[in-house]
Amino acid sequence: MGKSLLLISQRPDDQEFAAEVAIAAGLSLVTAADPREGAKILAQEKLLAVLVDASSQQQYQEFEDAVQETVGLFSDQLNANYLHYISSEDLSRVQFLLKSPIFGHFVFRNFANTKQAGQHYGRLVKATTQERAFGLQNIFGTKVKVQTVNFDNTGQKQEAVEAVKNYLLAAKFKARMASIVANAVDELLMNAMFDAPMDELGKQRHASESRATVRKLSGRDAVGMSVAFDGDYVAVSAIDHYGSLDKAKLMNHISKLYTEEEYKVKTTVAGAGLGLATVFRSGGSFFFISESNTMTEAIVFFRRTDSFRDFKDQFRFVSTQFYF
Amino acid sequence: MLNVTKEQNGAVLVVKLNGSIEESVDFNQLIGETPKELHVNCRGVPRINSVGVKSWIRYFQAVAAKGVTLKFVECSTAIVEQINLISNFTCGGEVVSIFVPFMCEGCKSELIGMFQVSALKQLKFELPTLKCSKCGGQAVFDDIPEEYFNFLMN
Repeated sequence: MGKSLLLISQRPDDQEFAAEVAIAAGLSLVTAADPREGAKILAQEKLLAVLVDASSQQQYQEFEDAVQETVGLFSDQLNANYLHYISSEDLSRVQFLLKSPIFGHFVFRNFANTKQAGQHYGRLVKATTQERAFGLQNIFGTKVKVQTVNFDNTGQKQEAVEAVKNYLLAAKFKARMASIVANAVDELLMNAMFDAPMDELGKQRHASESRATVRKLSGRDAVGMSVAFDGDYVAVSAIDHYGSLDKAKLMNHISKLYTEEEYKVKTTVAGAGLGLATVFRSGGSFFFISESNTMTEAIVFFRRTDSFRDFKDQFRFVSTQFYF
Repeated sequence: MLNVTKEQNGAVLVVKLNGSIEESVDFNQLIGETPKELHVNCRGVPRINSVGVKSWIRYFQAVAAKGVTLKFVECSTAIVEQINLISNFTCGGEVVSIFVPFMCEGCKSELIGMFQVSALKQLKFELPTLKCSKCGGQAVFDDIPEEYFNFLMN
């Protein structure tokens, strides 16, 4: 079968989306009507991506059970990096996916323009089929200019965040949208500068440090930022050289809701832990790529729209790619 | 960088916040001790990051704990977003007025209109259109009502 993308869904919108993803990713599309049939294909073929309708916990469970029966959940044959779950439920309502041992990617089914959403997501899927997905160029291709900044010290963060905001304003993003993207970048950079560095025992070295601390960023502590804009989507990434990202903690931060639960200020932790939670709700998508003990790249994507309403309600996803 | 201007108005201290609220902001230093009533004007806050949220909550919670009456006026869209996202962001204070985002249907310009919370409730969140200051076209509310006005609906 070669380079294939398997879709396990009977929904016409998923089929249309998957067809676009396959074209953009350069893969041939194979479709299975139900999880059992899908799991059989998964066991027999070497697939590069699998899109699964996980609209409900029951549907997800059927998929997990079928995979367990055929391939085995912890088999070498199965890799969470190529499993993409599609759901119409908001992130906070799909804990069963985020906590799954075979969670890779969450695709929120508010496609709006299915073709455009599929084309955009297809670029990401294409990047995941490479040996390593790192780098905005891997997603945007060579026609889009990627600008990269390396930081000398943590004190340069705010200046960089404001520079991103000004860049977006110049690219005709509305001020409110530019502020939201700038905030997302701020959070990613803070994570890269303060949360990523670990000592030899795997203990965070700067997590309890005030985020106003000015500290030199050199050697392994070096942090970079890349920005790319293709006329529709802007992507900004923060890169560290620790590769210490913890998937379970990350998903917990991203999906947490503070609308019902009171936010408690912890004096022992300098970071607030709520920065990422607001990004997805404000229209942003995430792609986290992490190679253990080597590097992490955290990317946010936002589409430029005329109205803020469309901006906030745009097609989005949370993707992860972990290399061990 | 946040700038704060303070004005004593009888027994009320009015503080105007101007700039982004992030890790460099120390409200204790910028506002400090307050009388029995504190009015916080937030019209000049374009952005607040998670560390800013943390110091905001820490400061205003401490102020509220002393029995100070807290009122937030002219809240920018960035502040309204936080009020909606974090249940205890206002620390028991009253939100008096907020900026509401509009978009011109003609020239697509981004506009804001200031509304008293009481007026929004009277309107049942069905906002009138505004006249675009740039092209004279019709500007309509530009957000998701159930989300932007969520803190007022509950």
